[in-house]
Amino acid sequence: MSRRNFLRGAVAVSGLTALAASLSPLLELSDFTNVDQFMQKYYKKMTPADMAKVLTRIEGEVQRQYGIRPHVRDYKPMDGVEFVYCLNLTRCIGCRKCVHACVAENNQSRNPEIQYIRVLKLPHGSLDVDKADHNYAPAAVPEPGFFYMPVQCQQCKNPPCVKVCPVHATWQETDGITVIDYSWCIGCRYCEAACPYFARRFNFADPQIPKDRLNPNMSYLGNRPRKRGVMEKCHFCIQRTRAGRYPACVEVCPVGARKFGNILDPESEVSYILREKRIFIQLKEEMGTSPRFFYYFDV
Amino acid sequence: MIQATRNYFLFLRRCGRIAFVGDWRYYAWMGLLTAICLFGLNAYCKQLVHGLIVTGMTDEVSWGVYIANFTFLVGVAAAAVMMVIPVYIYGNEDLHDLVIFGELLAVAAIIMCLAFVTVDLGRPDRFWHLIPGIGQFNFPASMLSWDVIVLNGYLLLNVYICGYLLYRRYQKKKPSKWFYYPFVFIAIVWAVSIHTVTAFLYVGLGGRPFWNSAIVGPRFLASAFTAGPALIILALQVVRRVTASAPAGVAVRLRSDVIAAPRQATLKDLDLLAHHLPELDTVSMEDRLASLHGATVLDVAAGDVLLRQGTTEDSAFFVLSGRVVVKREEGGRFRITRSAGPGEQFGEVSALAGTPRVATATAEKRSLVLRLPAASLRRLMQSHKMNEIVQSRMSERLMITDHGLLMLRSIVQVSMLINVFLLLNEVFKEFYSGNLHVASAKYLFIGLHGHYALVPWIWTAIGLNVIAMILLVLPLSRSLKWLNVACVLCIIGIWIEKGMGLVIPGFIPTPLGAIVDYRPSLNETLVCLGIWAFGLLLYTIFLRMAVPILQGRLSKANEGQEL
Repeated sequence: MSRRNFLRGAVAVSGLTALAASLSPLLELSDFTNVDQFMQKYYKKMTPADMAKVLTRIEGEVQRQYGIRPHVRDYKPMDGVEFVYCLNLTRCIGCRKCVHACVAENNQSRNPEIQYIRVLKLPHGSLDVDKADHNYAPAAVPEPGFFYMPVQCQQCKNPPCVKVCPVHATWQETDGITVIDYSWCIGCRYCEAACPYFARRFNFADPQIPKDRLNPNMSYLGNRPRKRGVMEKCHFCIQRTRAGRYPACVEVCPVGARKFGNILDPESEVSYILREKRIFIQLKEEMGTSPRFFYYFDV
Repeated sequence: MIQATRNYFLFLRRCGRIAFVGDWRYYAWMGLLTAICLFGLNAYCKQLVHGLIVTGMTDEVSWGVYIANFTFLVGVAAAAVMMVIPVYIYGNEDLHDLVIFGELLAVAAIIMCLAFVTVDLGRPDRFWHLIPGIGQFNFPASMLSWDVIVLNGYLLLNVYICGYLLYRRYQKKKPSKWFYYPFVFIAIVWAVSIHTVTAFLYVGLGGRPFWNSAIVGPRFLASAFTAGPALIILALQVVRRVTASAPAGVAVRLRSDVIAAPRQATLKDLDLLAHHLPELDTVSMEDRLASLHGATVLDVAAGDVLLRQGTTEDSAFFVLSGRVVVKREEGGRFRITRSAGPGEQFGEVSALAGTPRVATATAEKRSLVLRLPAASLRRLMQSHKMNEIVQSRMSERLMITDHGLLMLRSIVQVSMLINVFLLLNEVFKEFYSGNLHVASAKYLFIGLHGHYALVPWIWTAIGLNVIAMILLVLPLSRSLKWLNVACVLCIIGIWIEKGMGLVIPGFIPTPLGAIVDYRPSLNETLVCLGIWAFGLLLYTIFLRMAVPILQGRLSKANEGQEL
């Protein structure tokens, strides 16, 4: 063997070794994706049979990971229903019970922590969010001189997040809920940049949920466990509200600050509030997003 | 057809092979870049395994240095247009060959852009959802889908234009205008579009007042047209330096100018030339005989000088066998502008124009050279084909002249002035009106509620930009040394201004008023360095292939010869 060939061989071998070494972390890569997941069709293009197969597959995946056989359904919007949320700022005491009920109901990651509801503590007399305290932790709430404003997905009629998504992974359903297909999202986070309400959350790591805390009543577009690299947000508890129940945050609120219902039904509580209350606020109304989330006062 | 395909693949193979050949400096440089690439790849693999948690990004600041670099590089890619416009629209000859370097830079930059977006994705395995027809492409609503189209389109356009021009040059054929002029003009408009669309990614977001400003688009263009040509000025000088042979002082062993015993040329010599230059066959016997009047054949040894820069006499030369290098003395160094093999000409430009020689031609090895008086060459060029080939070769010289670089300087100069002007406009609007939306600008320029993370960055950027602007405006930067300083300053300044200074503060404070600082993590930084190294590696390879083709050292004529 000539010196030249020997050198060439040595360079090639060391180059390949270095390449293999740099790729070595991939050995830990498990269950990132498989053929079925990779090839899964777009939500709106799936037949009921396709969907049934996908739901069974997801149930199997959840069982393997958490040891619990969940019940995953694809709840569809009901005819003649448009959901609206009303939140009474006079009543809210900032206890954050809604935040925790939401985490439990919707199988949100405990580590890293993901929460759909952010409660802002604001000084009396101002709605300027730049003055908000996000991390208040007093011995007792409410504190004098402050009021509390929980913010979550505002379920806009004109949602900027839907417009910017390059792959239609998020869309608005007929009952007004903007949903995300976690199996279609590519994780570009453009929607997160577009949202004026800081309502969207990204799975920067694989979500961790204690096995005994998993809520087994799951929906495809709602609270089924997510994976790392996809977006999620409040979906008005699809698995409850499309089955005729209240969202978890409404049920848990100890002061009755949260009201939820069908705006198309003139007899509903929310219809009454929007008809009778003299002042209500759509957050950042000037954005033209037209939220289905109304803040009101006891006047 | 099969032959054409075979030829093309042979061309690609030769180009591929040449990328692995070079001197020790080349190997050292490529080795270094490869090593950095592998570190970056390793960091990216970790990110794939653990998720984007290994970056410094959060829900609050959900885009970081990946998107910042992407934005900067789209600008660099768009700037190739600055090279193209003067050449094709105004017919500026000084920049002619530089266009290819600019477009190759655009190709490398776009590939880096695509890499930066890919590493930013949470689910890169689902990229196919973005493919129109197969996935669910949200066009035209999403600006990101526009970006996918314009970036990939721009990549294809530039790959095609560079590929076509280089392949024609390799074949020693004149490029047909119909096959590339339309694409060049599309590429010009397209270049503006890639940067405008990228600006619109930000501008279109009503919930982010810092970005939601009509001036962002023009600012993007101005800064791109500063940083892009600045980068090209530096790259061209590297090319020039690397292709230089020796300092002028230590001249190559030049032998006597008087070459022993030239002999009268005969029809046999013309036949030998026609063997390498088939176009000569179209010349009538009458013209051939007439052209022999005063024509001589020189038998020269390596190092013999055939013509000298600065002298004036009226002969043109064709190489019959062997090889002749044409060198140009510039700024105290000799630079090989091209090398002529059998069938190729040199010295014809000044012979036909009667101007002084612009370069010195020296035999590289023992060669036979046909020397024709200008009148004889004109006689041969009465044949249409012969005229065409000689003319086309005259216009395809690799010349990186100081004049060309100074043309680019004036582009950088004007763009920098506009860039700083637009920045001041933005600063005025933000701070004078003083409404609530000034929070992000405050965070960036003076700090907000005790958070100062970006303040040192932006003032460094402003300082660098202002110094660069002053240097560019002063006549001082007509000297390349100072021009280079100005270019480096404005590249760094604009990188910070456009990356850290535009992308990050858009997220701070959040729409709900929270201030969360962002700092790129080590892993994230390594991925960025890896992509930059990969881009430089690509650009180096592109240049390694393009330079010999432009110099005529790698051509179809010398197939089968090792370079």
